[in-house]
Amino acid sequence: MSKNKQEIIEPLNFADSFTLAMDEEIRKDGLPGSYGCFALELDDRPDIETLQHRIAEFSQKFPVSLASLQQIGRHFYWCKRDNLPQLFFNHICPENDEGLDFQQHTINQIINRKEKRESITPIEFHLITSSAKNTFFMRWIHPFCDARGADLILQFLCTKDENKRQQFGLPKTEPLVNIQLAKYHWWQKIILFFKAKIYIAKLDKLKSIQSFDQNKKKESASRNLHLNFDVQRLTESETQQVIKQAKKAVGLTGTSLYYIGCLMRALEKMYPEAEGDAYCTPYAFNIRKQRAITPMTGNHVSALFAQAPREIIKDRNKLFTHLKQQNTGVIRQQLDYAFLPLMWAGSWLSLKEYGKILRLSNGTDNERSSFWFSDVGKLDIPAQSFPGTEINTVFHVCQVTTPPTLAFLSCIYNNRLTLSYNFIEPIISLEQIETLHQLVLLELLD
Amino acid sequence: MKKILRDFIFEELIFVTEPSQFSDDENLLEAGLDSMGIMRLIMFIEDKYSITLPDTEIEPENVQSFNALEQWILKYKKG
Repeated sequence: MSKNKQEIIEPLNFADSFTLAMDEEIRKDGLPGSYGCFALELDDRPDIETLQHRIAEFSQKFPVSLASLQQIGRHFYWCKRDNLPQLFFNHICPENDEGLDFQQHTINQIINRKEKRESITPIEFHLITSSAKNTFFMRWIHPFCDARGADLILQFLCTKDENKRQQFGLPKTEPLVNIQLAKYHWWQKIILFFKAKIYIAKLDKLKSIQSFDQNKKKESASRNLHLNFDVQRLTESETQQVIKQAKKAVGLTGTSLYYIGCLMRALEKMYPEAEGDAYCTPYAFNIRKQRAITPMTGNHVSALFAQAPREIIKDRNKLFTHLKQQNTGVIRQQLDYAFLPLMWAGSWLSLKEYGKILRLSNGTDNERSSFWFSDVGKLDIPAQSFPGTEINTVFHVCQVTTPPTLAFLSCIYNNRLTLSYNFIEPIISLEQIETLHQLVLLELLD
Repeated sequence: MKKILRDFIFEELIFVTEPSQFSDDENLLEAGLDSMGIMRLIMFIEDKYSITLPDTEIEPENVQSFNALEQWILKYKKG
């Protein structure tokens, strides 16, 4: 494809390329691609005029939000379009329709809509209104931003003061992955590169457990595969109990490890016969400083893995001690940053080659991930800050490859832990997820 | 010691608008120091002061402020 240099807005950074390789893998399954979404369930209809105004302001301030993703040579770039895409959509429930069904149906349509990568709008804002429920739904394609960036975009839209909105994304910086990688001398980068390779080779010695029957994928034509999600919200007191148990189990090393361990145990209880030696899940860690309001767009993450052999899973105390030690060990050995040179090298591969390396255990057809995981922690968007109404609840959604077919996402909003199970039907059914959640809940509350 | 800790935390881990206004007693956890940040801070301290901080002592009371951090480090620097 030939494109003039003038048309390029910006190149993808190497963490963006990492997410693009996963987009390709998701598309290979006949699914729409690597979408991430945040849903804000609102108390009432919002002030649409103000909302549209802020979205327009956002797109002017961050023109990459209007760009088209194009491949030029080996690399991908955000390029200018001839016709600017629509960013805001208002879906109004017809009077005779049932509001809650309309909400669910509309969200399912948005997350399952297939488009060519080049024509996708990097980010879309959907307002779904009905007399029963109002939801603000933001969908982005992952090379455009990471979950923290999406959180910042929501904060931007919920900031009343124009001067404060102008501060978002400032000061403009290089991608943080580039800045972090530049801190190392060339020989340190090589050491890190091999450290990461050795670490992955060690992980790959254990075959990852796949809980769900992938034969259903073969039986079902790929056009029938689609993402569904189930959102489960804990009460405030249950959330407090989970935080208390997490601290007891993994201390200050983080609640994320606790959620991961609880899901591993729940899966093992539900599918003890599933083949494999260990549960393994990748999770991203953010390179941004906490509470920073820049950078807004792009991905600024590196990856880590949590892996636990089957025999350890059975003993709750042993499992959490293991996950905690693994996490501490990874950071002590600087393996968290070791993935940066690996991701940089990967960005030079074709998407097909890169995707294979990312997903499959070395030299096999075995998927490395037992499930995907993301925890965005406590969201700081004040409930009263949304234009013209209040935010009641928040959840997030993402597409996932098959296998592992399941992505487990968590956040805390208004002091309530929200778990979002994202799964590909018909490989996994809603009934299976509901059973799984009951087991997860038992584990979380101990 | 606090200057070294402040420089590392504000340059690498937490964004605050006015670092100079952030007191040594202010709560770092409330300011956004999270689990990954704590682990990274501990690695930095251990490397900088050639000490080992026991995992069993990674508690809020030891990491919640610059004053608390200093006390925790001194316990091992002296020993």
